[in-house]
Amino acid sequence: MFIHNFKYSLKTLFRNKELIFWTFAFPIILATFFNMAFSDIENSEKLDIINIAIIQNDDFNNNEVFKSAFEEMSDKNNKDRLFETKYTTKEEAQKLLEEEKIVGYMELVDNKPKLTFITSGINETIFKYVSEEIMQTSNIINNLTEEEIQNQIMTGNFNVDYESIYNKVIEITTEENVKLKNISSDNLSYTMIEFYTLIAMVCLYGGILGTVSINQNLANMSNQGKRVSIAPTTKGKVILSSVLASYITQLIGVALLFIYTIFVLNVDYGNNLGLIIILALVGSLAGLSLGTMVATTIKSNENVKTGIILSITMLGCFLSGMMGITMKYIIDKNIPIINKLNPANMITDGLYSLYYYETLDRYIFNVVSLLIFAFILIAVSYISLRRQKYDSI
Amino acid sequence: MKNVIEVKNLIKEYKEIKAVDNLSFEVHEGEILGLLGPNGSGKTTTINCLLSLLNYSSGSIKIFGKEMKPDSYDIKSKIGVVFQDVAVFEELTVYDNIDYFCGLYIKDKKLRKQYIEDAIELVGLEEFKKFYPKQLSGGLLRRLNIACGIAHKPKLIFLDEPTVAVDPQSRNNILDGIKKLRDNGATIIYTTHYMEEVEIICDRIIILDKGKILATGTSDELKELAKIEEKITVEINELQENYIEDIKKSKNVDEVKYTNSLLLVTYTKGKNNLVELMEYLKENKIKYNKIYSERPTLNDVFLELTGKELRD
Repeated sequence: MFIHNFKYSLKTLFRNKELIFWTFAFPIILATFFNMAFSDIENSEKLDIINIAIIQNDDFNNNEVFKSAFEEMSDKNNKDRLFETKYTTKEEAQKLLEEEKIVGYMELVDNKPKLTFITSGINETIFKYVSEEIMQTSNIINNLTEEEIQNQIMTGNFNVDYESIYNKVIEITTEENVKLKNISSDNLSYTMIEFYTLIAMVCLYGGILGTVSINQNLANMSNQGKRVSIAPTTKGKVILSSVLASYITQLIGVALLFIYTIFVLNVDYGNNLGLIIILALVGSLAGLSLGTMVATTIKSNENVKTGIILSITMLGCFLSGMMGITMKYIIDKNIPIINKLNPANMITDGLYSLYYYETLDRYIFNVVSLLIFAFILIAVSYISLRRQKYDSI
Repeated sequence: MKNVIEVKNLIKEYKEIKAVDNLSFEVHEGEILGLLGPNGSGKTTTINCLLSLLNYSSGSIKIFGKEMKPDSYDIKSKIGVVFQDVAVFEELTVYDNIDYFCGLYIKDKKLRKQYIEDAIELVGLEEFKKFYPKQLSGGLLRRLNIACGIAHKPKLIFLDEPTVAVDPQSRNNILDGIKKLRDNGATIIYTTHYMEEVEIICDRIIILDKGKILATGTSDELKELAKIEEKITVEINELQENYIEDIKKSKNVDEVKYTNSLLLVTYTKGKNNLVELMEYLKENKIKYNKIYSERPTLNDVFLELTGKELRD
């Protein structure tokens, strides 16, 4: 029974031209457009060094992390140099900005970067992103240092050498974890960001497949569902086999996107392809669970449900940076809870973290978040599906 | 006679509307029971309650002697349903559609293959096995809908208006198929608002309106409920009022109507009425084109019981 239903669910999904378009063709078309549009931007901007200014105040001079990070990224001997940095007063920086000799300037106030721009664009975004990342690293180092000092005081050592502890922490963090990779024009790829959000979108499109599968088995949703409901089979078995067929179809769609982007568009996903695939598997599960939840809890026709899933997916991708990475930072900075709950962001953020961090902490956090997201939605779907009779059909 | 279905005091309410109002009836083994009623009379709701698809407010339903519940898989395995709306997959061929639905009941592939061939033959779709539903005409699609519902050779079949929007040829084909199913031992519940169909194929009829049973019996038994025995229709181009009044005074006449050049005379008893009316027209030199006599139909019975036509 399970295999019989699974086989025919696969057949119906693969012969549904509309679904095949959205699951298989649309992402590939979009990937092609992204590649055409953004590779040109990238090529034109790849070798550009970004002109910036930094206000040389006490906060900056005393902040080793910021100082050394910007020194390294502005070092003319560094082949991955990102910035041409001028260390100035605020007035001079403002003048340079107005004369468009720099894209923006940074002032450290209470160890927090305050950035000033006149326009917005990829260079401004990179400057902002780098500053945010350095601040996070700086915070971690400071926290670890304070923790170490507290530990030493607790153990009775009141003769604390602050500088040696601080340097030791920097050494540890540089060697072991939390190290920010070299952010250069080589690896901060605008196209890659677009491909990450595209992967997130494809994963979440699995929701449409989930909705179709569930609808085909519910008496109050389709005529076929009525037939299935009066058959001598358990609802759970039929639905599980249909959802599994949807998941497999979804994974084929994701696999096609990877194959196309790697072998045709020559996208380099780095050395973490295995982890990226795991993230795509979990992301697809989250998408599927979104579809089953919408299908089982919302009383409306299939088109409305599909519309809801598409809207959630597109909104999620937009907030996680599909139409411009600045949006992701705006949300991350001002309303972080939205992106913490946004499955598209969990996927893109997981992919970013593989790209920018040497440790897997943030990646694992996102994978676990997606699993929790999927589990909650599947539980809600299960509770809704337990009802066996309807008040109206 | 063994009862396959026993329904007692079934009530189904939608908010303040009673869609099914205290229905009680039985369905005997091997019969075709017609549920006759206009649109919205509660036929489909009754079937959905019987199938345990719908919650019902009160009452009891027994099928094959057991209470029908959503998890009564042993009962469900003996039931086949042909829904009012075509319930097939657009993405599957005729053969695959039947195989899919039959496979929900029959696991043995060899046996299932035989059952599918039998169903295809019964509905006359031999030449369309590899066709997709959208390549089929309305009539053929209905036949496929029936094949999907009965391929597993159920003992109890629900047919919910299976001939809606079907051409006469396909309709006859479908009705012949239904008779064959009954002859092969199936018990059938047949809902429709086409009175001719129930007269042709149903052994017993229940007339429903507003969720209530208005009358039950065979076609002849129900027709006896009508107070008229004969209807005579005459096509007359022009007829003066005094003649109409004269005809009204004739023996056994119940009612006389003259509209659109048609004279309709109904009689409470049905002997020699046609001859007497023809003689009257001849005596008074009234020219007419056509004249014909009819027995009362179930529609007349329904009209009698409810004051409205069946096909509202």
